[in-house]
Amino acid sequence: MQYKSQAVAKPYFIAALALFVAQILFGLIMGLQYVWGDFLFPHIPFNVARMVHTNALIVWLLMGFMGAAYYLVPEEAETELHSPKLAIALFWIFLVAAGLTVVGYLTVPYATLAKVTGNDLLPTMGREFLEQPLLTKAGIVVVALAFLFNITMTILKGRKTAINTVLLLGLWGLAVMFLFSFYNPDNLVKDKFYWWWVVHLWVEGVWELILGAILAFVLIKITGVDREVIEKWLYVIITLTLVTGIIGTGHHYYWIGTPEYWQVWGSIFSALEPIPFFAMTLFAFNMVNRRRREHPNKAATLWALGTGVMAFLGAGVWGFLHTLAPVNFYTHGTQITAAHGHMAFYGAYVMVNLTIISYAMPLMRGRAANSNKSQVTEMWGFWLMTVSIVFITLFLTAAGILQVWLQRVSDNPMPFMMAQDQASLFYWLREWTGVVFLVGLVVYLASFFIKGEEKAAA
Amino acid sequence: MSGTFTTSTARNIFYGGTLFFLLVFLALTFQNEQIIPKRDRREMLANPQIAEGKKLWETNNCIGCHTLLGEGAYFAPELGNVVVRLGSKEAVKAFIKGRPAEGIAGRRSMPQFNFSDKDLDAIADFLEYVSKIDAAKWPPNVQG
Amino acid sequence: MTETLTGDAPVSRAAALPRHPPGDLAIWVFILAELLAFGVFFAVYAVTRMKNAALFDAMQPNLDRNAGAINTVLLLAGSWCVARSVDSIARDARPASVRWLGAAIACGGGFLVVKVFEYAAKFAAGINLATNDFYMFYLSLTFFHFMHVILGMAILIAVWIKARAGGYSAADHRGMETGAAYWHMVDLVWIILFPLVYVMR
Repeated sequence: MQYKSQAVAKPYFIAALALFVAQILFGLIMGLQYVWGDFLFPHIPFNVARMVHTNALIVWLLMGFMGAAYYLVPEEAETELHSPKLAIALFWIFLVAAGLTVVGYLTVPYATLAKVTGNDLLPTMGREFLEQPLLTKAGIVVVALAFLFNITMTILKGRKTAINTVLLLGLWGLAVMFLFSFYNPDNLVKDKFYWWWVVHLWVEGVWELILGAILAFVLIKITGVDREVIEKWLYVIITLTLVTGIIGTGHHYYWIGTPEYWQVWGSIFSALEPIPFFAMTLFAFNMVNRRRREHPNKAATLWALGTGVMAFLGAGVWGFLHTLAPVNFYTHGTQITAAHGHMAFYGAYVMVNLTIISYAMPLMRGRAANSNKSQVTEMWGFWLMTVSIVFITLFLTAAGILQVWLQRVSDNPMPFMMAQDQASLFYWLREWTGVVFLVGLVVYLASFFIKGEEKAAA
Repeated sequence: MSGTFTTSTARNIFYGGTLFFLLVFLALTFQNEQIIPKRDRREMLANPQIAEGKKLWETNNCIGCHTLLGEGAYFAPELGNVVVRLGSKEAVKAFIKGRPAEGIAGRRSMPQFNFSDKDLDAIADFLEYVSKIDAAKWPPNVQG
Repeated sequence: MTETLTGDAPVSRAAALPRHPPGDLAIWVFILAELLAFGVFFAVYAVTRMKNAALFDAMQPNLDRNAGAINTVLLLAGSWCVARSVDSIARDARPASVRWLGAAIACGGGFLVVKVFEYAAKFAAGINLATNDFYMFYLSLTFFHFMHVILGMAILIAVWIKARAGGYSAADHRGMETGAAYWHMVDLVWIILFPLVYVMR
């Protein structure tokens, strides 16, 4: 760690991992509800568990991105953070707001929560992933703006690198696109159309800039490859990402009342979306192969390579599987979508967060890398979680294919619930694999507490 | 690979290319706005019940279990065409009203929301409106 | 595809240069991505046309082939001017290089004017992306290409401004080659698009 103020990243990373645990626990509840329908009913119905599962994911990824920005921006800009105090204050505001929101989800009926938090003033709640009360949404905007102010000021007074520029662009894009979450017209088609400007243009747009910047930073540090080379790759990858991803939004506009031309535009551009992910895989492996130093943090290297591979599989391959309009006609809104979502989010955004955490946490704790014993444990966590997510994806894909066949394709289409019953074996397998994932997560977290011989800080 | 690959050109192509494809996307969006009035049944929104129904749909987080035009959670049936599937708005209302408060043992259970008759009317009107949106012949069949 | 394009490079210098594409490699990555997008678009057009041959055959005569032909000539002339411009700068003939570049930009401008008149007629007839499959592809493909002509011209104008300021020389004109390569791509795509959409039956 070269600048004192980088240390503000630490609480962000710790809170992110705590929310990660919450996300997985609620995922397990939902997985069980898939096969044991009235588990915890009516106290935690499925929709509440899902809200906590997805919202916790979004918030912890954002926490991780913020932590990553606080860690890498000063080091890239070669200057202290503009205001470490503001960063710490924002951390507590964000954490308390997120905590209160989850408490609200779990303790009062959603309709009551909507009423007391002023949803009548400006109805924005109750749309997938944007379930947060108006107050929370406003809080997110305030925190994001203050955070961006802090980061932007730091970059302005310091060295301007490609990594910082791309990261800043991604973070600003993230904040700007979120503003569409306040637009909720009565016209359902328009509601859905612009809802995707938040959801798609986040995960297949600006978030990928953030991902690229974080990955590039870690690769420079652990491989020692020239910044010049890595920055070129970064620009090429994010160019391909946005060239395909922006119009790729069209793959969500097939069946929601929007015109048929989106089927052509959406299919063509989203068919090209795997290319940037493939480039990212090549990038990660290429840089590690061309490394000019042996960094003692092997675990961080593993996470970086894992991000390249799993993002390509989850976002690229599993996305491509059902992105073409004629295929999507049958798979739209089935377990196939769920399968893709799980591997894509884990492979791209969970893993890149764990990459920067793996790299930065030991440095913030005063050592170049954790002890060998700790790293081996962390790698066990890596493999348990990664293999689990692969199997969760495979089981959900199997459930999805069965569902599509029984409910959509066959001559005598089966009602939804009957088709679900047929898939229960796969849901059980998914649930048990989810338990293995949780074990992997516990092992991963345990690695933080394992001592042993440490190498001195670089 | 030759040494003629410069960061500055890569950067300029990134900015230019991104701006370019953003403009193409905005043009497609503009065209979208011009065409959807023929498909989105906005004339039905003259009935204020539909907006009320949409609000009830949202504030009870129905999307947390169901899909609507294929978007949402995959835990419970698609509702974009539920009025067609169950045959009438009355059947939809009866279904919602008839959910046992304690759930159905061992089965996926829908909560009892204790809606008033007025609320139920609004929800049914909203779901009927959704079923009339031109969704390019999706879903493939009535089972959703 | 790549070979066709490198063939457009200044012939007089080809033998003296090391074997790599002219201009910056970054533009070639972008060009390949663009060609891939257009290529897939053409393939989808071909498949849709095969399935709806009657509709496509009935609609195709409604297109303004003369306008298309004029535009083909304009783009080919523009590409030739760009090639002359690069060739001139390679001989350090700077004023000639700037003039050729200006002529290329004029050709591109002519293309846009002709196209705008063509679109105006179609829009006046109430045609949009939802009219039918044929017009959907006609408008999508030509509009996507139209935007590329605008982008190509923006690049050429930037190169022209730098050339006028004396920014290129025989020793260093990689920037001009980079812009030229992109412009040739825009031309190449039209040469496939025009027969495919306007002429072929």
